[in-house]
Amino acid sequence: MSSEERLFRFSKPAWLSSVQARNAGVYLAGGLFSLAFYILLDSAVWSASPRNASPLHVNFVDWLPFVFSSLGMLIINSVEKSRLASDSFSYSGSGVAWKARVVLFLGFAALAGGMAGGVTVFVLKFVVPGVGMPALGMGVENVVANALVGVSTVVLWVSQNMEDEYAYNLAL
Amino acid sequence: MPTAGLKTIIALSFVLALGFLLVILSCALYSKYHPLLVVATYVLAPVPNWICSHCANPDDFVESSGAAILDLGRFCTGFLVVMGIALPVVLAHSGIIATAAAVMSIVGGLLIYGTIISFGQFFQEEQEF
Repeated sequence: MSSEERLFRFSKPAWLSSVQARNAGVYLAGGLFSLAFYILLDSAVWSASPRNASPLHVNFVDWLPFVFSSLGMLIINSVEKSRLASDSFSYSGSGVAWKARVVLFLGFAALAGGMAGGVTVFVLKFVVPGVGMPALGMGVENVVANALVGVSTVVLWVSQNMEDEYAYNLAL
Repeated sequence: MPTAGLKTIIALSFVLALGFLLVILSCALYSKYHPLLVVATYVLAPVPNWICSHCANPDDFVESSGAAILDLGRFCTGFLVVMGIALPVVLAHSGIIATAAAVMSIVGGLLIYGTIISFGQFFQEEQEF
């Protein structure tokens, strides 16, 4: 993309499309997903430890939103990004962009459903019965973990789009 | 980056020994051997990168399928690195290990991982020429 054809007054900084930046973005996405997983694992381990004096415990219902969030992340980042733009790639059949958009919609629905499920578990299991703070942390950790999966998905998506522009520059 | 001399190797092995000392101390002082998992995590952390870089064809820019498996390896490496920090914190939060043991194992694990990374960089720099 030449500087004459740009839309905004501030140009994109040069380091943003470099190889190091997109590699760092992929590492960061892995770290954020790991953080999400271990925050949720922390709530489960704390629930089984002697420090949990409340009758509430983490069971499969608390893990279910995280399962859906991770599934959504897997689907979203499995889609080939260059197929979204147009149908010009004729060798894989017609309507590839339409199919890719449907799969992408399913992925985003699973991600948003996981996020909403985390909030639902937090409200129905912890806020409505009026649970106190040390046990309330288990619900807060559930919401934070699902939000971190969403952030990790966004970081990975942006890094892979950087990769596409980089490949395009090299191909030219 | 200067080439790896004898002093670099001595300093790296010293730092590695210091890291192992901290991790083993954090286990043996409280006779709870859970923090040893940190060592396993950091030793395993460069392995996905290594495997995926051998699987991929980095010259294949047009299909970009080679870049996808490289990204998978980087994602797994990032996961394992943060796991090495998060695991002692999780164990300390639930009272399985003491807080001081968690701090010692995190510092020791970071020293071990830093040694592995810098050693690999020195080694790779020699291999390229």
